[in-house]
Amino acid sequence: MSAIDDLVTELARLPGIGSKTAQRLAFHLLKEPAEAAERLAQAIRRVRSQVMACGTCGNLADEDPCAICRDPRRDATLLCVVEEAKDVAAIERAGRYRGRYHVLGGRVSPLDGVGPEALRVGPLVERVRNGSGVREVIVATNPSMEGEVTATYLQQVLRPTGVRVTRIARGLPVGGDLEYADGVTIAQALAARREMGEE
Amino acid sequence: MPLVATPAVVLRTYRYSETSKVVRLATRECGVQSAIAKGALRPRSPFGAGLELLSEGVAQLYLRDGRELQTLAGFDVANLRRELALDLGRFAGATALAEIVLRMAPAASHPAAYDALVAGLDSLVATGIAAADAAGIRALWRLLAVLGFEPSLRGCVRDDTPVDADHPVTFSAAEGGVLCERCAAERPEAAQTRLAARDYRDLLVLNDPTAPLPALDAKHAAAHRRLVARFVRHHSGEADRFPALELWERHSWAPLSPPQPVAS
Repeated sequence: MSAIDDLVTELARLPGIGSKTAQRLAFHLLKEPAEAAERLAQAIRRVRSQVMACGTCGNLADEDPCAICRDPRRDATLLCVVEEAKDVAAIERAGRYRGRYHVLGGRVSPLDGVGPEALRVGPLVERVRNGSGVREVIVATNPSMEGEVTATYLQQVLRPTGVRVTRIARGLPVGGDLEYADGVTIAQALAARREMGEE
Repeated sequence: MPLVATPAVVLRTYRYSETSKVVRLATRECGVQSAIAKGALRPRSPFGAGLELLSEGVAQLYLRDGRELQTLAGFDVANLRRELALDLGRFAGATALAEIVLRMAPAASHPAAYDALVAGLDSLVATGIAAADAAGIRALWRLLAVLGFEPSLRGCVRDDTPVDADHPVTFSAAEGGVLCERCAAERPEAAQTRLAARDYRDLLVLNDPTAPLPALDAKHAAAHRRLVARFVRHHSGEADRFPALELWERHSWAPLSPPQPVAS
């Protein structure tokens, strides 16, 4: 197998990249200066060798514990539970949440063979129980069926700890349009309505 | 390319590119179909929340013979079945049903299999948590029966000798039903299970859709789950390709009390 074929094969294994895109990327890299390809190779090597899962929250970071777990300005009484590390990045981008996180490492998905025992549920219960002062757990799993069943399961295992368990709201997206929203989303938005003037 | 509108249940969804989904559908008129739902992940997608696992509706499909991936033009959702997410046991049972359709149903039209799937999902939604196991077990047996794997339960699967429901009985997953005493003693096999008289009567009731669901305690429910899962694995010939069935069979999660509404 030639070096180009080798690169195309490896690129095509990435999610969302088909063989044609892989070929285009490979030829693009060949057209670029050698340093650009070297920088990419180094970035991939670095991310593989340096990035690790935070031992406390499971987020991906260069250090353990991660910057969020180390930050004393973060509210340690609030814990936001997400499916994947990329969800931490999404919530951080919003810039409004000042608590800490717990990354489950997936969601319950029987068709993929993922049961609750495959997720970081035990460490979550330990974190809540061990006197870390957590008052509220915000379950921010995706509003899909698997995300909902994961949320239900978390609620049930956390109930004996006495901590407040809340679920992120579902409804219309900001900037959305009622005309284009589907019936289920409108129904959820109506069910989760609140008094005007509440923040 | 004809546009076909058919009742359908979403059995599986996969992300495809940044904005689309590939879905596997059980359809009433066209069997199990894979289709791409272009733009399904966009905020203003016409598919909206419809393309969720186990949701039911009317799918509009552009069908082309010989194609592995069809195009989904629309999906008018009729039943999202969000109630299944309130209990892991019911959800696992529902996904085991979906998995059996995915692995064992023919690609061609099979309205009876579609109806059995829908009836099974509906019964799991309607049943309380306490009877979820029995509802799941019955739904699996019913689905297997319409797919051509109905177990022989009233008479010996080898020689049709009537079997007495007041005595223990031997069930052979390999042969597809119960064995009379003589046949069971004659040629014992590894895939045989000895059922106590009560378990045998429960098995008869679980296979009778007109009878009320039997009350199964945890131990007996586990035994019936093992029995039907073993039957599926044997007859599918793909023992290692049923992760949802295995999860449901093992019930590896902790026994939990009924859920309370979560504050938003």
